[in-house]
Amino acid sequence: MTTAGQKPAGTATFKRMLRKETLRRGGAHEVNFLNITAMLDMMTIILVFLLKSMTTSNNVPQSNDLKLPASVLTTEASQEGLPVLITKKGINVGENEVVPVPPDASNGVDAQYKKNGANDLYITRLGTALSSFRETDKAIRTATGKDPNSSEAIIVADENTPYRLLCEVLYTLGQNEFAKFHLMVNQGAKQ
Amino acid sequence: MAEEKLSAAQRSKIRRLSAPKELAPDEEGGELNIVPFLDIVMNVLMFVLATVSVTFTATIDTFPPRAGGGGRGASQQQNTLGLTVLVVPDGFSLKARGGNVAPGCESVGEGLAVPKKNNEYDFKTLAKCAKRLKGSSPDFEDETSVTISANKEIPYKAVVGVMDALRSDPETAPDAKEKKEMFPDVQFGLVK
Repeated sequence: MTTAGQKPAGTATFKRMLRKETLRRGGAHEVNFLNITAMLDMMTIILVFLLKSMTTSNNVPQSNDLKLPASVLTTEASQEGLPVLITKKGINVGENEVVPVPPDASNGVDAQYKKNGANDLYITRLGTALSSFRETDKAIRTATGKDPNSSEAIIVADENTPYRLLCEVLYTLGQNEFAKFHLMVNQGAKQ
Repeated sequence: MAEEKLSAAQRSKIRRLSAPKELAPDEEGGELNIVPFLDIVMNVLMFVLATVSVTFTATIDTFPPRAGGGGRGASQQQNTLGLTVLVVPDGFSLKARGGNVAPGCESVGEGLAVPKKNNEYDFKTLAKCAKRLKGSSPDFEDETSVTISANKEIPYKAVVGVMDALRSDPETAPDAKEKKEMFPDVQFGLVK
């Protein structure tokens, strides 16, 4: 409301005052929250790196039943082949336990699981599991241009596995056309 | 120049126009609120770091065991060492083409070549003994295979220890990038 006789200010003055007031009331650009995008990027990269290194460097679940022996070797672990696990409780092919291991395995697995009694080295149930994998692997090897005459196996054995049991497993593998074994060990032992 | 005075209507209009605008909830900040997501990522990261024990693995390549010991093919020739290491509860027995290696690793004779020391397997002496045998003739220079056998109750870690001891020259300089290889090709012997 204008007072009598007061002339309103011109448009230029009005706009200048409006700008001035807007700046005063709005103040500087207000930061409502911290910009954490850069930190988030960094953390996501670290997370992806950790998850990736977990899956590639060590996918062997070690526990009281399966503790790998230490070796001075520092070469990279071979990833090619069928994983055969020898724990204190059983022999596993892939995810499945095929033969139980007795508490005292210095004579190998129980005679009932062997082809010709206690002195034999061939473990029948392990052989059956291996031959099934071998057929699949033979087809894959033929298709991918690799030598189909033999397969490979990764032996993941507990450090206290008796030599007799180890030999029984290796012998059974050999009898099922597995011609190369990769014995998995932990790096970092002192010589 | 005297500044023109604003009228009351103009002052009122300026107050109205210069008032900060209240943003609608969906316009606020113009950015996604990623704080809850960040919390989740942070928790997962903490969990992963706390639970993962980084252990690196390696693999030792070998072949199916052969009954009766002896290397693969090469040991059948006369001018090869044909080294066989037998792991027994009291130490290591070594056999080569010339016969059983006597204690001390100096000559051929009966007994354990490398007995246990302080009730533990003496891998260092075994490595030195293997080096001595390999160096005993220029014909053995290129021989890289060894047969390892053991008593039935010998633990796998002892066998891995033997493989480590025989793999490379124990007297390579510590700062050498690559150790000189001795017997990296391992063959397991079967004990019936």
